[in-house]
Amino acid sequence: MLQRTACGFGALAFHDLLQAAVTPSASYANGITPRAKRVIFLFMQGGPSQIDLFDPKTFINERHGKSIDSPLRKEVTQVGTEKFLALGTQAPVRPRGRSGMMISDLLPHLATVADDICLLRGMNADNPQHAGATQQFHTGTFTEIRPSMGSWISYGLGTENQNLPSFVTIHPQGIRTYDNAFLPAAHQGTSLTVPASAKSLPVENLGNVSESEAIQRKRIDLIQRMNRQLKSDVVGDESMEGMIKSMELAFRMQTTTPEIVDLSKESKATLDLYGVGGKDTDKFGRACLLARKLSESGVRFVQVSIGGWDHHGDIRGNLPKLCAQTDQPVAALLKDLKSRGLLEDTLVIWSGEFGRTPWSQDLSGKSPIDKHGREHQPESFCSWMAGGGIKAGLTYGESDEMGYRTVDGKVHVHDLHATILHLLGVDHTKLTARHLGRDFRLTDVYGEVVKEIIA
Amino acid sequence: MPRLSPIAALFLTPLALLAAGEDDLFFESKVRPVLIKRCYECHSAEKKIKGGLNLDSRAGWQEGGDNGPAIVPGDLSKSLLIKAVRYLDEDFAMPPKGRLPTDEVAILEEWVKRGAPDPRTAEAAKAAKPKRAINLEEGRKFWAFQPVADPAAPAVKDAAWARDPLDRFLLAKLEAKGLKPAGDADRHTWIRRVSLDLTGLPASAEEVIAFAEDKSPDAYAKVVDRLLASPAYGERWARHWLDLTGYADMIGTSNDVFAEHAWRYRDYLIQAFNEDKPFDIFIKEQLAGDLLPAASVEQRAEQLVATGFLMVGDLEIVNPDKAKMEADHIDTQLIKIGGAFLGMTMGCARCHDHKFDPIGLEDYYGIAGILRSSPSSGKMVGFGVWSTIRSISLPETPAQLAERLKAEADHASKIVALKAEQAKLTEENKAVVAKLADLEKAAQARPAAAAGQSAPIATAPTPGPLPERDALTKRRDEIAALLKTKASEIQHAEFFKSKTPKAFAMQDGEKPADMPIYVRGNPYATAAVVPRGAVRVASWDKFPAIPEGQSGRLQLAEWIADRRNPLTARVTVNRLWQKLFGEGLVRSVDYFGERGERPSHPELLDHLATRFMADGWSQKRFLRGIVLSHAYRLTSANHAEGLRLDPENRLFWRMNRQRLEAEAIRDSLLKVSGELVPKAGGPSLALEIIENTGGLAAAGVNPPSYHHRKSRPSQEFERTVYLPVMRNGPSSADKIRNFFDFVDPAGITGQRNQTVMPTQSLFLLNNDLVRKRAGTLAKELIAVHKDENARLESLWLRAWNRPITAEERTNARTFLQEITPLLKKPRAPADLESARWQELCHSLLASNAFIYRL
Repeated sequence: MLQRTACGFGALAFHDLLQAAVTPSASYANGITPRAKRVIFLFMQGGPSQIDLFDPKTFINERHGKSIDSPLRKEVTQVGTEKFLALGTQAPVRPRGRSGMMISDLLPHLATVADDICLLRGMNADNPQHAGATQQFHTGTFTEIRPSMGSWISYGLGTENQNLPSFVTIHPQGIRTYDNAFLPAAHQGTSLTVPASAKSLPVENLGNVSESEAIQRKRIDLIQRMNRQLKSDVVGDESMEGMIKSMELAFRMQTTTPEIVDLSKESKATLDLYGVGGKDTDKFGRACLLARKLSESGVRFVQVSIGGWDHHGDIRGNLPKLCAQTDQPVAALLKDLKSRGLLEDTLVIWSGEFGRTPWSQDLSGKSPIDKHGREHQPESFCSWMAGGGIKAGLTYGESDEMGYRTVDGKVHVHDLHATILHLLGVDHTKLTARHLGRDFRLTDVYGEVVKEIIA
Repeated sequence: MPRLSPIAALFLTPLALLAAGEDDLFFESKVRPVLIKRCYECHSAEKKIKGGLNLDSRAGWQEGGDNGPAIVPGDLSKSLLIKAVRYLDEDFAMPPKGRLPTDEVAILEEWVKRGAPDPRTAEAAKAAKPKRAINLEEGRKFWAFQPVADPAAPAVKDAAWARDPLDRFLLAKLEAKGLKPAGDADRHTWIRRVSLDLTGLPASAEEVIAFAEDKSPDAYAKVVDRLLASPAYGERWARHWLDLTGYADMIGTSNDVFAEHAWRYRDYLIQAFNEDKPFDIFIKEQLAGDLLPAASVEQRAEQLVATGFLMVGDLEIVNPDKAKMEADHIDTQLIKIGGAFLGMTMGCARCHDHKFDPIGLEDYYGIAGILRSSPSSGKMVGFGVWSTIRSISLPETPAQLAERLKAEADHASKIVALKAEQAKLTEENKAVVAKLADLEKAAQARPAAAAGQSAPIATAPTPGPLPERDALTKRRDEIAALLKTKASEIQHAEFFKSKTPKAFAMQDGEKPADMPIYVRGNPYATAAVVPRGAVRVASWDKFPAIPEGQSGRLQLAEWIADRRNPLTARVTVNRLWQKLFGEGLVRSVDYFGERGERPSHPELLDHLATRFMADGWSQKRFLRGIVLSHAYRLTSANHAEGLRLDPENRLFWRMNRQRLEAEAIRDSLLKVSGELVPKAGGPSLALEIIENTGGLAAAGVNPPSYHHRKSRPSQEFERTVYLPVMRNGPSSADKIRNFFDFVDPAGITGQRNQTVMPTQSLFLLNNDLVRKRAGTLAKELIAVHKDENARLESLWLRAWNRPITAEERTNARTFLQEITPLLKKPRAPADLESARWQELCHSLLASNAFIYRL
């Protein structure tokens, strides 16, 4: 059975348990030249408002506060949008960089790296709710439990560093975003919390409960002695052997994991770049810096998630807060990767699970327009990519007059997945795993590589 | 459209011919380039034919794809092609990547208006593609669709080895391979094995000793009968069944919406397994309990609760598009029925005929029509886009009713008391506020002249009003906080006012009917209506007529529970076998189709299936037979010959070792430490604890939610099956399920993973669950036994269900000695003693001998 053995974080000299960790076989590659070696996925859970950040609409701005015609199908009900009031952008969105890419004043740091990113303005997904859309963004589907994108990539490409797991997820938003499902458990994302203080633990159960390390060591020695005896009594057992190794690894992880997440050795300039210590930026800055560290050390897929983008109300007050928390760290990550020469073979993706409507939402039904928010919108939203093989400075895709539907350059989540795999040198139709008699893919039966955004 | 015969064409006027030429020119110069550039990539014989639509020939668009003809010549409004390129409907917009430029849309419109002249008739032949059709006759030849046989047990050389006919089926294959089965496990190993397998708990020290000393011929049988009669049996096997249902104590996955009544279904299962409800009835109750006759109020309630099977899965209720939501719910239920009872993957046939198995759209929509006739959700009034899962009030006996009314009255008086406290506080608040205002007024009224002499007064302590004002201000703030708490207590009490027993249950809807095929699963694109029915390839007869006004669930249930159904009994006994032997006879336990595994012992599988049905579908009697077999008694230790001839143990020459499930690990820890508390069922969610609930206001954007912030005191010590199951991960009363391969509470999982992860070792080394049990166990050993040897003996019997060996005794003593100087001092001797023993107990509880069963 596939799932019988596996390992997770800090797999120090633990490669013999990582049975499936292999470089992509020629059949996955299908002649594709890899452009990126690793991925950093910045997941903005909740649905960042594309119309405010990247895709302003004159049509909407001109009608701010006035009723517009609903494009919704009559069977679909939204709440708090009955008046269908156009809601103009919250801050000026201006052309940036040489390419003139449109980026909001709310993202001043990102604006300085506009020429390094490719903005996708025609993203599409199929589910209008967080759980389903988040699941689809990560696994391709929302009706069944399937492996997450990071798990597929770990499964297809294995690990670059045998001392680290191939898929790490920092502050994940639910198990389905890093679930290995029917892939071997080695490919489940290892969940990390960036410690806010020296006391908090990056991984659960990492703190020794014995009075001293010496006592715990004695305890482990006794356990291991008994475990080895049992293994010999049954004349060998792979799983038990795995548990014996895993116990040693667990002991070492108590020391090594805090070292891995320790940012104290970073230069002041680097810490400042990411906004570590900053009032708004500290937490996400630490997470992004850790992502760079892990990525640099060879972790194949690093995901950093942050929630809070679900602005149903007072988007004017709330959106700037999220921007303030994330903008500097995100731009810092790109700058840092670039200055280290890593950006050219690291693929960076920024996206929410969907975007938000151009019309306003007022759940109380009584607020002034300035306190309104926006409803979910999977029909058309924005994401961006940068680095490994991506056409920098390109704005790809266009939404309609009001910004509800994509009219050109549509990139469905399946297409995005296909493109990510392609950039990693993997044919998305060839990377499969057999489950319940069927060969499954990240892209299921869909997905087209978006050649237009590849440099 | 009438076509011109060749003769008629001879009489066409030159003008008409000229017109035809113009049309051709128009087509070639304008239309064809657009089609090639914009459509052929997905709709041409050379590339792909998505949605069944081929646009590279006239016949292609005439015949059309899944939605019918793409063009009605001359009619723009009826031509789907035009509808699609106009991009008016989000579900029907083409090309998918973006709207065509306006001039190209105009060309296609002009073309259709002209009658869609299309000279591409020659291409038609090559475009024609044979459609794959399901051949039921051919399909029925597959082993799993063949009727279940009743093969005689084969002859074996070593007939004395067999304790049960099933042993002969196994032994025959082993003998044929020249492989000797392993020897028997010792009694200690066997009693731990059978106790864990049947009840999910290890044996107690006393049970181990009694069995080891029982030399009577029915010693083994006595143990089995005791275990099968224990309530712990139902608790274990109900959890196995829950793995097939996607059970959680929440509805859907969004926003932690609590499924207040889900526990009733879990309790139904525990009771059903403990009562040994015949499996065919068990099936019928779960699919159509509401449609069965009932002899009593209790039975009626039980039958209603049973239909929770279809409701406890991951049914998302927040989709604003209710047609899509309904289709997704039906899909979830259908996949569950297919997986749990039939071992078939039905999900594929939602969009197209199954690629590998003879299951088609007609099968899917036949069952879907049955499910659609019993709507499982309805709009949640007052909560925006939310729907909710259908729940119905259960009938009550007079005694239950009386009890409930009393509970409601008690609850009402509690609310009255809370409101009285609230009123009292409000009164007090008024008085305090008034008094403060008076003081304020008095202060202002003081002669302004005093201000001139303020310096000396300020340095001296001010007598009178100031301390009083401070005290009043403090009290005012206290009251404000108390009132806030009181208000939420009242809101909470009012929300949970009704004590009417309810269950998530099925009921036939108002208009049961056949349903149309949803093209590619899209409810807005319907095709032919399909009669309600079951899986045709597994049917022995026509599906029975569904009485007018009924959904057909009863007929479906009877079809599944019929002895002639080739799948049900095979799938069921195979899963039972897998739970006991670690691997199924068919190793892909949830999938018996073409691409699944073939049975290692097909005759044995049929023998077991026949025996199960013939013995009244009794699971207890079936399991009893298996665990008393010789095969089940074998040691799990390897031997060289076995490893050489059958390294995967496909032939069951030895027992398979198994890592305990998360639940069994936690429950065993509690049992060994003596802390396990029995429970008679009841709600998992600690809804009575205010901190755990949110969003209880009468109406809101999101429905009420549950976050397990605080446990009921008893929850720390109850069996894991009684703890809340949430779909978003760790928001639960225990953490162990996150680490030891608990199922995703959405899918159908007949066999759990047994992974090895360092996070599991960290859990065993450092988690409180293990640490605390070790502490309790240590204290008890110390209290009961004064002598170190006696303590060690007792510890081994309790934790590992076997006597300690001499070597282990030496090691344990050395360990105790070696850690003594390492422990912090000074401390009381008793404290030092329990610290030493806690470390030793912890070692045993974190060892492989504890978390595996041999």
